[in-house]
Amino acid sequence: MSKSNAIDHDAHRPNATLYLKVFAALMILTGVTVLISKWHLPRPQAIALGLFVALIKASLVGAIFMHLWDEDRLIHKFLYVTLACACLMAITLTDARHLVGKITMRMPVAQQHPAEGHPEK
Amino acid sequence: MSHSESGHHELSFTQKYIFSVDHKMIGLQYMITSMVFLLVGFGLMLLMRWQLAFPGQAIPFFGHLFPADLAPNGVMSGQFYNTLGAMHGTIMVFLGVVPLGVGAYGNYLLPLQIGAPDMAFPRMNMMSYWLYLPGGILMLGSFLMPGGAAQSGWTSYPPLSIINPGQTVWILSMVILITSSLLGSINFLVTAINMRAPGMSLGRLPVFCWAQIVTAVLLLLAFPPLEAASILQLMDRVFHTSFYMPKDLVILGKQYVGSGGGQPLLWQHLFWFLAHPEVYVLVLPPMGIVSEIIANNTRKPLHGYKTMVASMIGIGIMSFLVWAHHMFISGMSPVLGNFFLVTTMIISVPSVAILTCLIFSLKGASIRYNVPMLFALAFLPLFGIGGLTGLPLGLTVTDIYLHDTYYVIGHFHFVVVTGSIIALLGGVYYWFPKWYGRKMNDTLGQIHFWGSVICMCGIFLPMFPMGLAGASRRLYDPTAQVHNLGVQPLNVVSTYFAYALALFQLPFIYNFFHSIWAGEKTVENPWKATTLEWACPSPPPHGNFTRTPRVYRGPYEYTAPGRKTDYWPQTDPS
Amino acid sequence: MNAIVMDNPDTHSGVSNAKLGVWLFLASEVMLFATLFTSYIVLRMGSTTWPWGWEALNVPLATLNTAILISSSVTIVMAYARVYDRDRTGFRTWMALTLLLSFAFLVVKAFEYGHEFHLGIGPSTSVFYAVYFTMTGLHGIHILGGILLNGALLGMSYSDSSWNDPLFLGRVEGAGLYWHFVDIVWIFLFPALYLL
Repeated sequence: MSKSNAIDHDAHRPNATLYLKVFAALMILTGVTVLISKWHLPRPQAIALGLFVALIKASLVGAIFMHLWDEDRLIHKFLYVTLACACLMAITLTDARHLVGKITMRMPVAQQHPAEGHPEK
Repeated sequence: MSHSESGHHELSFTQKYIFSVDHKMIGLQYMITSMVFLLVGFGLMLLMRWQLAFPGQAIPFFGHLFPADLAPNGVMSGQFYNTLGAMHGTIMVFLGVVPLGVGAYGNYLLPLQIGAPDMAFPRMNMMSYWLYLPGGILMLGSFLMPGGAAQSGWTSYPPLSIINPGQTVWILSMVILITSSLLGSINFLVTAINMRAPGMSLGRLPVFCWAQIVTAVLLLLAFPPLEAASILQLMDRVFHTSFYMPKDLVILGKQYVGSGGGQPLLWQHLFWFLAHPEVYVLVLPPMGIVSEIIANNTRKPLHGYKTMVASMIGIGIMSFLVWAHHMFISGMSPVLGNFFLVTTMIISVPSVAILTCLIFSLKGASIRYNVPMLFALAFLPLFGIGGLTGLPLGLTVTDIYLHDTYYVIGHFHFVVVTGSIIALLGGVYYWFPKWYGRKMNDTLGQIHFWGSVICMCGIFLPMFPMGLAGASRRLYDPTAQVHNLGVQPLNVVSTYFAYALALFQLPFIYNFFHSIWAGEKTVENPWKATTLEWACPSPPPHGNFTRTPRVYRGPYEYTAPGRKTDYWPQTDPS
Repeated sequence: MNAIVMDNPDTHSGVSNAKLGVWLFLASEVMLFATLFTSYIVLRMGSTTWPWGWEALNVPLATLNTAILISSSVTIVMAYARVYDRDRTGFRTWMALTLLLSFAFLVVKAFEYGHEFHLGIGPSTSVFYAVYFTMTGLHGIHILGGILLNGALLGMSYSDSSWNDPLFLGRVEGAGLYWHFVDIVWIFLFPALYLL
C-alpha cells in the first residue's frame, strides 16, 4: 500500500546499448529513405516504399524508446482501440475518389503538369 | 491507503469556491455555469421563435435594445437570425448539455460512486473547468466583436464559414473548449481505471459510471479530429489557404483570394466524425442518470445490467461508424450512403436495448412516484419518440425528402431536450440532497415537471408536421415560401409553448437556490439507495469518505430475499 | 502534480496514474494527427496535380532536421536512464543536450520557412504548401511544448525535493513518451511531405 510500490513495478529498466543500436538503425534508415527518393521511382512505388521505411522507423521508436515492447497490456489495448478508430477515418478516402471524378467531370481544370497525373490513376 | 495533499486544514475562500481542486466543488461549478449557458442558449432561441412565429414584426420589449444593424426598428435582421441560430446550437451542445452531463454529473458522482477520495489529477480537473469558463465567455463575447458572432450554423460548413465574419472567434473558442474536455476525459478514464475502492470490480460499477467511461472514451477519440479540422478552417480564414475552398470560387463577383483546390466536403466528414459521437455524449450520461433513478425508485434490480453495459459499449463503438448519415444529400458517394445507412440501422439496436431494459425494470415494481422518478419516467417515452423519428432520417430514401426540414429539428430536439435535458433536470432533484444536505421542494418540483414536459412537447411536436409539409429548417422568414403558409400557425403554437416553457423554469430556479439555504434538511441516504455516493455524509467532506469503503456486491441489490430492509448497500458487509 | 494515489491490489490496473494519463493524451494526439494525414490524403487524391516534395522543398535541410530530432529522442531516453540510476549530473547533461537539439531543430525550420517566404511562397500558394505549412507548423508547436516540458524538468532537477520525489522518474518518462511521439510524427511527415 505504499506509493513507491506502484511506481517501481511500473518503470522500465533502461538499456543504453540497445538505445544506441536503435539510434544507429534510425540514422541508416533515414539515409535509405532519402536515397530511395533519388531513384525517382513512379509515384505508387515511391509512396509504398517511403511509408514502409517510415513505419519501420516509427515501430523502432515506439517499441524501444517508448518501451512498448515490454509495456503493460492495458496500454497496448488502448493503442489498438485508438489505431482502429484512426483507421475508420480512411472511410473518408473512398469519398475523395468519388469527388475527384465529379470535380474533373463538371469543371475542367487546366492541368499545369499533364504528365504528372493523379497518383492512383 | 488514500491520501490527499491538502489534508484537513482550513482553505481560503478562493481555494474552496473558486480555484478549488475538490471534484465536488468543480462539479458544482460546472453545474451552475452550464445551467447559465443553457438559459442563455434558450434565451437566444426565444428571440428566434418570435421571428419564426411573427416574421417582420418588432420584437416586443427587447427589440429596441439591439443595435440598429442587427434589428432595425426592433425587427430582427436576417444576419442576426443566422447568428442566433449558430450560437444557439453551439451554446446548447458544447457549453450547455455536454458540460452538464459530463463536467457536472461526472465530476461530482464518478469518484463518489467508485469510492475514490477525488479525481486522479485534481489540478488538471481544475484546469479543465478554468478552460471551459473562458472558452464559453469568449464564445459569448463574440457577439460584441465587429461583424458579430458566427453565422454559419453550429456545423460551420465551408465555404460559408470561411467567408462569414465572426467565425474566427468561434474556432478559437472551440479549440479551448476541446482542450478542456480532453483534459476532463483523460482524468475520468484514469480515475475509473485506477481509483476504484477495494471490491469495486468492473461488474459492480453502477450503470452511470459505465456511461461516463464510454462518454470519456468518445470525447478522447472524437474531439481531436474536430480540433484538427478547426485548425484547418482557421488556416483557411487567417492565412487564406484552401483546405475547404474549391477551385475558381467566385464570391459576390470576386475571385476567392486563395489558390483553391480544396474540398468543402472534407470539413463535413471531419466535423461529423466528431459530432456523431458527440450526439451519444449528449445521450449516454442522461441514460445513466435515468438508470440510477429507476433502479432506486422501482426498488428492484435493473433488468439486464449486463445488457445495458454491453449496449453502452456497443453504442460507443458504433458511434464512430455512422457519421456520414448526416451527409446523405451532400453529394458524397452513394455507395458510402448505403454503407452508412446499414450502420445507422445497426446502432439503433443497442439504443433500443437500453430503453427496453429500463422499461422492463418497471414491470411488477411498486414504483415510488417522487419528482426525480417522474422525470425518469417521462424520459422513456419521449426519448423513444426522439429515437424512432430518427429512423426515417437514417434511411437514404426518406432522408432525401426530410433532410434539412423542421422534421430534423423536431427529431433531435426530442432526443436532446425531452431526452437528455429532462434526465439531467431529474438528476438535480435526485442528487440535490447529496450536494447540499437538503431536499428540494416537492410541490414546486411537480409544477416544474408537468409544465416543462407539456411545453416541450408543445414546442417540438408541431415541428414534425411542419417538416413533412416541407418547411426548411434554416429559413429566416418561413412565410417567404408559399408552401409553408399552411403550417405557419403551427409555428405560432410552438412559439407560445416556448415562452410558457421559459415561465415554467422560474419555479425550478427559485426552488434550486432557495433549497440550497432553506430546504428541508435530510439524512445521509434519503432515497434509501445502494450505491456508494450515499455511503458518505451529505454534503461529502473534502476527501469524501471518512475511511475507504469496501464493496461487497453489485450496485442494485434492492428487495433482496431474506433481508429486513428493501435495500442492501454495496458497502454493507453482512 | 499532487496526484492522489489509491493502490488497491484488486482494482488498480498496475499502471501508474501518470503513465496512463500520458498514454491517453497521446491517444488523442494520434487522432489529431491521423485527421491531418487523412485530410492530406483526401486533398491530394482530389487535386489534379501534386508536386514532388523534393522538387518543391529543401530536402537536405529536412534530412538534417530528421537527424537532429532522432538524436534528441536518443538523448532524452538516455536522460531517463540516468534518472533511473539516480545520476543527477548525467541527467542534466543529457537533458540539456536534448534541449539544445530541439532548439537546433526549430532554427533549421526557421531557415527553411524564411527561405520559402523569401521566394514569395506561403500557405496560400497552393494546397500542397497549405498542407506543408500547417502540418510542419503544428508539429513545430508540439516541439515548443516539448521544450517547455523538458526545460521544466531540467529546472526541477536542481531542487532536492523534486529530484528525490519518487514520482520524478515517472515525470521524465512521461516527458520522454511525448517527445518520442513528436519524433514519430516527424518520421512520417518527412517522407510524406519532402520525398513522395
